[in-house]
Amino acid sequence: MQNAWLIPLFPTVAFVVLALFRRFLPGQGKWLAIAAVMAAFIAAWPVLFDMLGLGVGPYHFPREWFSAGPLSIGWGTLVDPLTVAMLLLVTFVSVLVQVYSLGYMRHEVKGRRGSHVADDPRIGWYYAAHSLFTASMLTLVLADNLLLLYVAWELVGLCSYLLIGFWYERPAAVGAAKKAFITTRVGDVGLLIGIALLVAHTGTFDISANLEMVEHGELSSGITTLVALLLFAGAVGKSAQFPLFVWLPDAMEGPTPVSALIHAATMVTAGVFLVARLLPLYEASEAARYTVASVGLVSGLMGATMALAATDLKRILAFSTMSHLGFMFLALGAGGYTAATFHLLTHGVSKAMLFLAAGSVMHALHDETDIRRMGGLARRMPITGTAFVLGALALSGVPPLAAFWSKDEILVAVASGLNPLFLVGFLLAIVLSALYMARAMRIAFFGEHRADAAHAHESGWTMKGPLALLTVCTVLVGLVALPLGFDGIGSFLFEAGHGPHAFKADAVWMPVGIALALAGLGLGWWLYDRALERVDALRTRFGALARTFERRYYLDPLYQWVVDRVVLAAGRLIAVFDRRWVNDVGMDGPGVATLAVGTRLRMHVSGFFADYGLAVAAGAIALALLLWLGA
Amino acid sequence: MTLLHFQLLAAALFSLGLYGVLARRNAVLVLMGVELMLNAVNVNLVAFAAYRDIPIATGQVIAIFIITLAAAEVGLALAVVLRLFRSHGSADVDAIRGMRG
Repeated sequence: MQNAWLIPLFPTVAFVVLALFRRFLPGQGKWLAIAAVMAAFIAAWPVLFDMLGLGVGPYHFPREWFSAGPLSIGWGTLVDPLTVAMLLLVTFVSVLVQVYSLGYMRHEVKGRRGSHVADDPRIGWYYAAHSLFTASMLTLVLADNLLLLYVAWELVGLCSYLLIGFWYERPAAVGAAKKAFITTRVGDVGLLIGIALLVAHTGTFDISANLEMVEHGELSSGITTLVALLLFAGAVGKSAQFPLFVWLPDAMEGPTPVSALIHAATMVTAGVFLVARLLPLYEASEAARYTVASVGLVSGLMGATMALAATDLKRILAFSTMSHLGFMFLALGAGGYTAATFHLLTHGVSKAMLFLAAGSVMHALHDETDIRRMGGLARRMPITGTAFVLGALALSGVPPLAAFWSKDEILVAVASGLNPLFLVGFLLAIVLSALYMARAMRIAFFGEHRADAAHAHESGWTMKGPLALLTVCTVLVGLVALPLGFDGIGSFLFEAGHGPHAFKADAVWMPVGIALALAGLGLGWWLYDRALERVDALRTRFGALARTFERRYYLDPLYQWVVDRVVLAAGRLIAVFDRRWVNDVGMDGPGVATLAVGTRLRMHVSGFFADYGLAVAAGAIALALLLWLGA
Repeated sequence: MTLLHFQLLAAALFSLGLYGVLARRNAVLVLMGVELMLNAVNVNLVAFAAYRDIPIATGQVIAIFIITLAAAEVGLALAVVLRLFRSHGSADVDAIRGMRG
């Protein structure tokens, strides 16, 4: 377990080798990248077994990098059940996504002798960025101090930028990459300030030490709240929560396996992980806790409604991710550490599978993503169809599939930890999430064939294999909630001070959850039938509402307006100040003044002997007078 | 004749010399101004020496030194002026500015 720091090392090495030498490696080094991430996946298991044998910890292995005065900067690891769960999830999804990419990243390449199917010309760089992405996320979950965590956090942001903008020949991809980078950066500023503020008050970067101080009440409640909220701003940006979710739908411009990676394992889960890791900080402040829960609920509802209006298959999934991450924040706000973490895992697996299924569809339909041009795909692509349907059912919360168990946990947590308003909102969100999944499933995979969908076909084994494996996992992963062989995931995720929190099957909420999920699915199935008449009628009736969902709550134009009218206007004002004052007065001023003084002073330097002589004489006389009068 | 008379004479001579040095443009006249100033100093030295009670001829000795040096200086300076006049065609001190920065 003390060697857990080796896990991120594998993909890091792969990144370095690929970044430098990919031209000299067979297949531009893609096999090396897969081998490295596979090694990381295998290396993560001993950590789990150690933990099962020795107890849940947390285990802290500090290692010093350097120290400056009283401040010590380290690269140590903090291994607790959350870390182990994330390690396994991240490496598992990364392996499958990389294998899947072998197939997905083979497409028509225009060569000198016509076009043929081959690897993407930049496949090596793709795998290099993938490896770095995985490595940064693994570092993030292992970090024992906030500085290392922040470094990994920014690396994750960088990798998302690189991969979303991987096809930089497309202007849309470039724009999406920049948008993702800048939007998350807005939140990261909060994170950085939050870390600085916390460290200024506690004097250490160490996470456990900081949390201990918070728990012992050594920080004033105002500072605690402020720090918690600032750190949460970073999480909001990274996890695409309201109001910083605008980058998420655009990020779909990247290759689909990248979306799977971003949504299931790396990037967006980082925000949830951060809040889960620092949960004592949020529990110490009622205001912060309620902010987290409110943002989560609002994002959950917004994501669900936008998913309901979107017609792009990948964007539906993206909004669904936003919605489910919102549920996780809601659970964290309710104090449901286990519920949130568990949902992170089950959602990660299900969403990775859904994205891979969507990628498979796109691959078959020549990058078509509009669900209205699909239809009847389940018959053409049985494996993809099965996967998508199971994923949809799982995310809707149908037992015994993955997300059912965790959603039930969240329901229990919300019912017991927050005020009933949140509960009502969450119940509505459950119905909505079942509804939009039913819609996507019904329109894309059932009904008659439309347009290109008639000659769709399954892809090669590299794409089918990971998909099938993830499908099996989606079915089975939820079962770890049950006390089979060990005490269930609840007690595994037990964190010191929170008490054993085994899976709770609540007699009231479980049936309610199932009933709502089934109701949503049934409603969706009935609404989005072949003719779509009912939906069209609803759409005309609630036109304004539908438009609001489609335009993503007008946040994009709002931000555009803010950028144009506020940021740029302020920028212009400052530019004028810079030109008129800083430049003209501040910089040029001394120069101009010196020049003017010099020009005037030059007058006495005539070059005539007589002038100098006169000056000498006058000086001598003056001196003499001075001596005479002074004496 | 008191010491004051000699001092006034010396001052007048010195002022005339200074005026010549500053106001004249002809190098020869400038040199004459310098001579006047030197001789004003000589007058001062000798007068002070003569009006002192101690019979040591320090002032007179220094005056003779100055006369010697002035003779040498004028010899050298006139040679320079001559060369300048030959090369520049004039002895105007302001016109000779070939080394001006």
